[in-house]
Amino acid sequence: MERYAPVFRALGMIVMLFGLTILAPLALSHIVDDGAQTAYDEAFGLTLLSGFWLWYRYRRCARDLGIRDGFLMVVLVWSILPAFAALPLMIQLGISFTDAYFETMSGLTTTGSTVLSNLDTLPMSINLWRHQLVWVGGMGLIVLAIAILPLLGIGGRQMFKAETPGPMKDSKLTPRIAETAKGLYVVYLVVTIACVLAYRWAGMTWFDAVCHTFSTMGLGGFSTHDASFGFFDSPEIEFVSIVFMLIAGMNFGTLFLAAHARSLRPYLVDPEAGWFLAVTLFSILFVAVYLLAAETYPEFLTALRFSAFNVVSIATTTGYASTDYALWPMFAPVWMLFLSSFATSAGSTGGGIKMMRALLLYKQVYRELVRAMHPNAVVNVTVGGQVAPQSILFAVLAFGFMYMVSVVSMTLLLLFSGLDILSAFTAVVASINNTGPGLGVVGPSTTYEVLTDFQTWVCTFAMLLGRLEIFTLLVVLTPAFWRK
Amino acid sequence: MTRFAAVYHAFGMIVMLFGLTLLAPLALSYAVNDGAQTAYDETFALTMLSGAFLWYRYRRGKRDLQIREGFLLVALVWTGLPAFAALPFVLQLGMSYHDAYFEAVAGLTATGATVIVGLDDLPMSINLWRHQMMWLGGMGLIVLAVAILPMLGIGGREMLKAELPGPMKDSKMTPRVAETAKGLWLVYIGITVLCVLAYRWGGMTWFDAVCHAFSTVSLGGFSTHDASFGHFDSPSLEWIAIAFMLFSGINYATHFLALHGRSLRPYRFDPEAPWFVGVLLGSAFLLAPYLTWEGTHGDFATSLRHSMFHVVSVATTTGYATVDYGQWPVFAGLWLLFLGSFATSAGSTGGGIKMMRAMLLYKQVYRELIRTMHPAAVYHVRLGGAVAPQSILFAVLAFGFMYMVSIVSVTLLLALTGLDALTSFSAAVACINNTGPGLGGVGPAGNYLLLNDFQTWLCSFAMLLGRLEIFTLLVVLTPAFWRR
Repeated sequence: MERYAPVFRALGMIVMLFGLTILAPLALSHIVDDGAQTAYDEAFGLTLLSGFWLWYRYRRCARDLGIRDGFLMVVLVWSILPAFAALPLMIQLGISFTDAYFETMSGLTTTGSTVLSNLDTLPMSINLWRHQLVWVGGMGLIVLAIAILPLLGIGGRQMFKAETPGPMKDSKLTPRIAETAKGLYVVYLVVTIACVLAYRWAGMTWFDAVCHTFSTMGLGGFSTHDASFGFFDSPEIEFVSIVFMLIAGMNFGTLFLAAHARSLRPYLVDPEAGWFLAVTLFSILFVAVYLLAAETYPEFLTALRFSAFNVVSIATTTGYASTDYALWPMFAPVWMLFLSSFATSAGSTGGGIKMMRALLLYKQVYRELVRAMHPNAVVNVTVGGQVAPQSILFAVLAFGFMYMVSVVSMTLLLLFSGLDILSAFTAVVASINNTGPGLGVVGPSTTYEVLTDFQTWVCTFAMLLGRLEIFTLLVVLTPAFWRK
Repeated sequence: MTRFAAVYHAFGMIVMLFGLTLLAPLALSYAVNDGAQTAYDETFALTMLSGAFLWYRYRRGKRDLQIREGFLLVALVWTGLPAFAALPFVLQLGMSYHDAYFEAVAGLTATGATVIVGLDDLPMSINLWRHQMMWLGGMGLIVLAVAILPMLGIGGREMLKAELPGPMKDSKMTPRVAETAKGLWLVYIGITVLCVLAYRWGGMTWFDAVCHAFSTVSLGGFSTHDASFGHFDSPSLEWIAIAFMLFSGINYATHFLALHGRSLRPYRFDPEAPWFVGVLLGSAFLLAPYLTWEGTHGDFATSLRHSMFHVVSVATTTGYATVDYGQWPVFAGLWLLFLGSFATSAGSTGGGIKMMRAMLLYKQVYRELIRTMHPAAVYHVRLGGAVAPQSILFAVLAFGFMYMVSIVSVTLLLALTGLDALTSFSAAVACINNTGPGLGGVGPAGNYLLLNDFQTWLCSFAMLLGRLEIFTLLVVLTPAFWRR
């Protein structure tokens, strides 16, 4: 294990930093005296000590991380931090580690599925902690997606390094991870603040505004209310939410460029943004008309209101619900889940395979059609004006295949353990896409509490697999990784 | 349209040849006087006239076919012949055209889904026609799979040209399509005769033996009885069926080589056969204890009998049933359908993506895992000793992706028009894989009659899409195909 000493050292630091974030709910808890103070004190102590011990033990092993270290690092961070994050939940609420770990994994991967009921009566600090995890998870995601995974070459991500659109190349994102992260975090923070103010303006309490902003920006979908957004029954609040979900569903790198240049041009040149918005808009209209035709709602504007919010929520893999859409004619929620598989942009806080890969996959298929007629034709696949090299195309195709294999395998596993087919399939899809609610017994009006321990672990694994874009996790689980 | 004159000329000839096959049920009808004579007379006349008309009208277009024309011919044959084959059903049974066309497509694509209830009371000649169509479809399939699609370069099929094992290369398959076809058909006919005799020996009537031999060897699954193979309730007949289904699931080119060289060596070198047999046997032996444990069948022996039969039946995309496995725990039914997606060998009469592609896809994924850790590594994907070139790998990956997209699309369309989740999904999978029965409403205890008109046409399309390996049909539907 000494080989990976630098990884553990860095991990130790990250655990300590993460431990510091516990101070926020800790402070809140002491201030409002909601009874959870001890839980946070203990969690804080344990996390900081563990992180410190890890760092201290390997403190002399500082060196630059190589590729293999990078993989291990990413996997460890996303598997271990939730374990520490689970402590307050276990100590205060008395739930099992299985359930607590599921909840915190759901938070940090910005999935948003929950095993908790009576969210409205939870201690304030617990709710803050849950929502804060999503926000922090979103931050980690952005860096993962924009800076780390491209360097590791996961599933075609290398393409995204050069993803900045043509004419914008001079205002290229600063190349080193740390500096890239800084620029993005400033943007993330600014939009977060704007979102809090917007929610407050629309009518939420300050606490609700902060919490829901956290889970909106991370496209997570946690709420302080069992009824999710249905609790507010407010078109203004839903509108604000839609706007910010759409923003967060697009590449934060593009947002940075736009803010930097004070211009909307980066969005016009972003190859994914246009498709993301078009697909979402089309789906909103289609579902609204479909619901109207199915007489779910009596008039078009109502249908449009509910369609817009819930379609955007699921397509961006957030997971809020303003109504129990599982009661809608089945095609609609299934279509929404399907959207969550691919609609959001790479470099956003969303889940799924990402629009970029969907575009590459379709262009590949088109190329094969052309090749079928003209076997000797040389056709390049381009995205955003750049030619995608063979290696990227292979990586994306293999990724797409493994994504489907993962969905099928885990669905079969859940079926085998006794879950019905609709719940099994949608639980897997919603987890691997980091969306949150599925259908059936894990629909928007229920929680994941009903799952057995085994099923809960499968879903936890699915969330991690999806968030780490499958190959990152698979690589670390391959024997070849640990040899030599 | 005279651009494709050569195609229409050839198609006309094929229609006439197909028309000649009507003489068999026609003769039977007259011989037993089952009331369908007029239907066959009329169909025969119409088919021959149409074929003759096309052949004569485009007789000056006679020349060797090029690639683009090959696609069109394949598409025309598989969509056009059922149009004629459906006529006896319309004329004699009074079926609507969309149902009759569905039945004919199910026959010629060797799928075996049926919309007819009361199979036991059908006129003998109608049953002969259904099963004979399936047998002919199998013959066409073999040629399509082993000779035509490789030349058209569909979905990596070119790989099959060089698929012959090392030491066998001197006894290579004769290269021209016609001669290749002849050799394979001899094997196919020979095995059919053996199957008839075996079924007769096992206790079937001559008529049942012939009909079921037709639908067994073609891996189609039609039966003269509503209860399918359950009608006989005979373990010996079931074991005979299992043996012949396993035989037909292996590459016919391998069979030819084995017979030609009077040796079993070709089987050892066939890269797909051991996996095909292994996966099926493994599934059967694992499913049996699962069924016993779930209480589906009383004891292990019964479970094994039913498990073995249905694993082989559904995995080879045949579709016979001896019990209503729709009543089994849903995991089992879905596992069977899943097997049918990939288990059979290329060059067999089975459906699905074929074992060869499944193997290539997995090796690709493994290669991507290695590449993730060692980005500069050069790693060749091999099959049966031969290196798969990049173009083949791309074709296979794109095929895999389109296959999944097709299943998702068909499922969504079926759900959109009102079918429940399980029926929609299993119908989509069962049709695209050319298996036949799905689960839910289209399970072994039901049939496809419950589909509305749109859904019936959609499933007919799905069967064709699967049988023509997706791209063949897609190419012909692309505007670019018809330009210039």
